[in-house]
Amino acid sequence: MEAESDSALIARAKQDPEAFSLLYERYVRNIYSYVYYRTGNHQDAEDLVARTFYRALKHFSRYVDRGAPFSAYLYRIAHNMVANWHRDRSRRQIVPLDETMLSGVKREQPAAVAEEKDAQGVLLEAVRHLPEDRQQLLILKFVDQLSNAEIGAIMGRTEGAIKSLYHRTLVALRQGLMGEDIKGSYHEEGER
Amino acid sequence: MTAGSDEKCTSEVLAAHADALIGRPEATQRIDVTDEERVQMAPLFELAGQLKQSMEPVQPAAAFVHSLGKELARTARHQLTATRRMRRGVLIGAATVGSLVSIASVVGAIIFVVSRQRARSHAQTL
Repeated sequence: MEAESDSALIARAKQDPEAFSLLYERYVRNIYSYVYYRTGNHQDAEDLVARTFYRALKHFSRYVDRGAPFSAYLYRIAHNMVANWHRDRSRRQIVPLDETMLSGVKREQPAAVAEEKDAQGVLLEAVRHLPEDRQQLLILKFVDQLSNAEIGAIMGRTEGAIKSLYHRTLVALRQGLMGEDIKGSYHEEGER
Repeated sequence: MTAGSDEKCTSEVLAAHADALIGRPEATQRIDVTDEERVQMAPLFELAGQLKQSMEPVQPAAAFVHSLGKELARTARHQLTATRRMRRGVLIGAATVGSLVSIASVVGAIIFVVSRQRARSHAQTL
């Protein structure tokens, strides 16, 4: 059986609460992955995902389906939630990157695997130092595996702009990993 | 080729490469690059590959998904009931106001006609 389209579910969800549950089921995993990579720990990810869906539900009666994927609406809410979370957190304290994905590896895995996980940790840490929009792009591309058009709809940019941003992100990330002046390359991009 | 079009071309190639890494259907279009360009872009291809490897989707706990889903369904039901109740309230309120306005205008018209008749008969008496 073919899955009901987002538009059909949205129309139905205005009258039928069960339809909203189907939208939730469809997107909760993607939103969770996105939030997890932006926060770095499961506890905060769960909290922010819950808040994202509650907010989406609260404003759902005013949601107008203009043909964009419903996920774009959810990602935008999640993005704002994460931005507020980072703002609040920076006012209080700096919490180190939670290495849940990498936990236990160093002690229990063979050295080669541990080294590989270390390299991944370094890479993820470098990703975390990128500006927000670049982190968002990499997560949407590699974690949620979205197309450039879908990413464009979420980030409010054209497909071409997404491709260009991806290119500049890779260059800046490489410079960052090589210890070059990563901030300089962001400023350079801001002037374009 | 100008520097701008060069950069655009590189962006296209890198985007196609990323799509191929995540197995998207649009990536079936060939990545046409010369050997020289491929060598130049090799570090970025490699970095993209590392990103793909490091950024695996993370699954939420099943218990969390289940309990949040249940909570949301309950909230959605309450929200819908409240909206319907509010709409009904607004409708009844509007109907009541409409009826009152109609009654008031009928009463007003009667008073107006009666007072006019009285004024006319009073003028005739004089």
